[in-house]
Amino acid sequence: MTSLPSQTAASPAVSVGAAPRSVLTALRHGWLHLVLVPLALLWLSPLLWILVTSLKARTEVFDPSAGFWPQVLVWSNYPAALSVAPFGTYLVNSVLVTGGILVAQLTTITLAAYAFARLNFPGKNLLFTLFLLQIMFPIYATFLTNFVTVREFGMLNSLPAMIVPFVASGYGTFMLRQAFRQVPTELADAARLDGCGHFGILWHVYLPLVKPTLIAFGIITVVTHWNDYMWPLLVTNSEGVRTLPIGLGLLAKSDSGADWTRLMAATVVVVSPLLLLFVIFQRRFVDSFMHAGIK
Amino acid sequence: MVVGATLQARMREAGLAYLLLLPSLLFLAAFTYWPILRSLWFSFHDVVLGDSKIIWLGLENYQRLWEDRLFWKAFGNTAFYTIITIPVAITCALLMAVALDSKLRGMAIYRSAFFYPVMIPSVAAGMVWVFLYSASYGPINQGLRFIGMPDTAWLYDSTWALPAIMVMSVWKYSGYFMLILLAALKLVPSDLYEAARLDGVSAFDRLIHITLPLISPTLYFVVIIGLLHSYQIFDYVYVMTHGGPADATNVLTFYIYQNGFQYQDIGYASTLANVLLLFVGGLIAVIATVFGRRVHYLGR
Repeated sequence: MTSLPSQTAASPAVSVGAAPRSVLTALRHGWLHLVLVPLALLWLSPLLWILVTSLKARTEVFDPSAGFWPQVLVWSNYPAALSVAPFGTYLVNSVLVTGGILVAQLTTITLAAYAFARLNFPGKNLLFTLFLLQIMFPIYATFLTNFVTVREFGMLNSLPAMIVPFVASGYGTFMLRQAFRQVPTELADAARLDGCGHFGILWHVYLPLVKPTLIAFGIITVVTHWNDYMWPLLVTNSEGVRTLPIGLGLLAKSDSGADWTRLMAATVVVVSPLLLLFVIFQRRFVDSFMHAGIK
Repeated sequence: MVVGATLQARMREAGLAYLLLLPSLLFLAAFTYWPILRSLWFSFHDVVLGDSKIIWLGLENYQRLWEDRLFWKAFGNTAFYTIITIPVAITCALLMAVALDSKLRGMAIYRSAFFYPVMIPSVAAGMVWVFLYSASYGPINQGLRFIGMPDTAWLYDSTWALPAIMVMSVWKYSGYFMLILLAALKLVPSDLYEAARLDGVSAFDRLIHITLPLISPTLYFVVIIGLLHSYQIFDYVYVMTHGGPADATNVLTFYIYQNGFQYQDIGYASTLANVLLLFVGGLIAVIATVFGRRVHYLGR
């Protein structure tokens, strides 16, 4: 996966034959860049638009003759956006809800995956099917009745309401079970001889060895639930419990296109935490989505 | 005695296993299986949100659905969105993945450029595209004006509103599918390409006859993921059009929301949810029977 921009040093005998081929490769790559550069710019343009608009003056947005770049950088759009709604509270709520789901999921999938990977018990296959089947019942099939359930529990408009439907994860259990099965049983046997019980083995042998899988699953969970819109929208109705995406949606609704500069500044604030993490840990993010796939 | 001891050990093992599964099972039962069953139950009743009285209706809700023109419209929109958006996004993703599979300079930059929309909350993405699509000052129309095209009020035009949301979805998800396909492409042995190239097979034929068959399990997987993710159109419809204009972008998830939360008619909304589940399940079954048999597995 590492990109090697230049040909690696070859012995003189080979390089005679390789020279025309490397030219061919260069030509082919040149052609590819010619296609990929415009496509990448097209893909990046909405982000560029968010950034540029967030720094414009309010009237510039509606003026077709104003040009693409802001005349003066209006940094005050940012404090204006942050003061119009309690973004600090939204941020704390987002962290609590996403963190809560992450911790709960990692706990439930670790316990269940260990049972499926290393223990024998009646009904194992049936129960495993029940876990896997959850993937086929996404939120659109359950949100309505889950809302009724959460309402009956008196949990509406609270942080736990945003967490409870996502505590168990069939897919996470499946992924982690696969990883646990790759761990050689000799390691567990050795730990058992040293006097470790099941929980000791799980904690000291299995979990350290499946760290990449845990991280991959964790990243996908965080991205999914940090950005979640539908469910938090349905179960919250006051400022104190709203998350960042819900707050942003409300701001958009109340502004209704009147103040794009402030709205885009708020958008930058909302999208930047994940985008920054992505830029810093790009490799980890890419690997997670490449190999863990779905959520 | 020995038999008794092993039996006891086995029972202890089973007991521990059930204990470990308990937390997951509790939440799976409460928030996945119970709602599915309950939704089925609700669909045969008149259920009003916040009212404990439930009246048996038999198949009345299903009959109502059959005659509900708005349901058929929402169903058609959902089917149109799903059946066009997923293949288009996967085709885009495949071309991106094939282009990035060669050891290209700046590969990481391209990859990030295509992938970053996945990291953006759907509500933020929807809002930005409302701006991009704006009739008078939106950059898309400004660009079209530049080449002499007339203005279109994209999201306020009943012909263009749904396709406009679909274009946005392709932008949002292609990068996600691209990464999964890229992982599959890495596993295709390069000597296969080399041999075909030496035999004079063109790049296009290599893609159709070598690459596609070899990554078909992943393509199949990506189609299923696409289907299961397509419910997210709710977020875009909610933020960008609220189902309008004239229900041109009303899709089933949004129609369920309208019935359940705006009209408080949980019984009918449950009926709609069951039909949506059946539709997506049916599509997956069709894809599994049509394409599942043609999928090649390399050395597995």
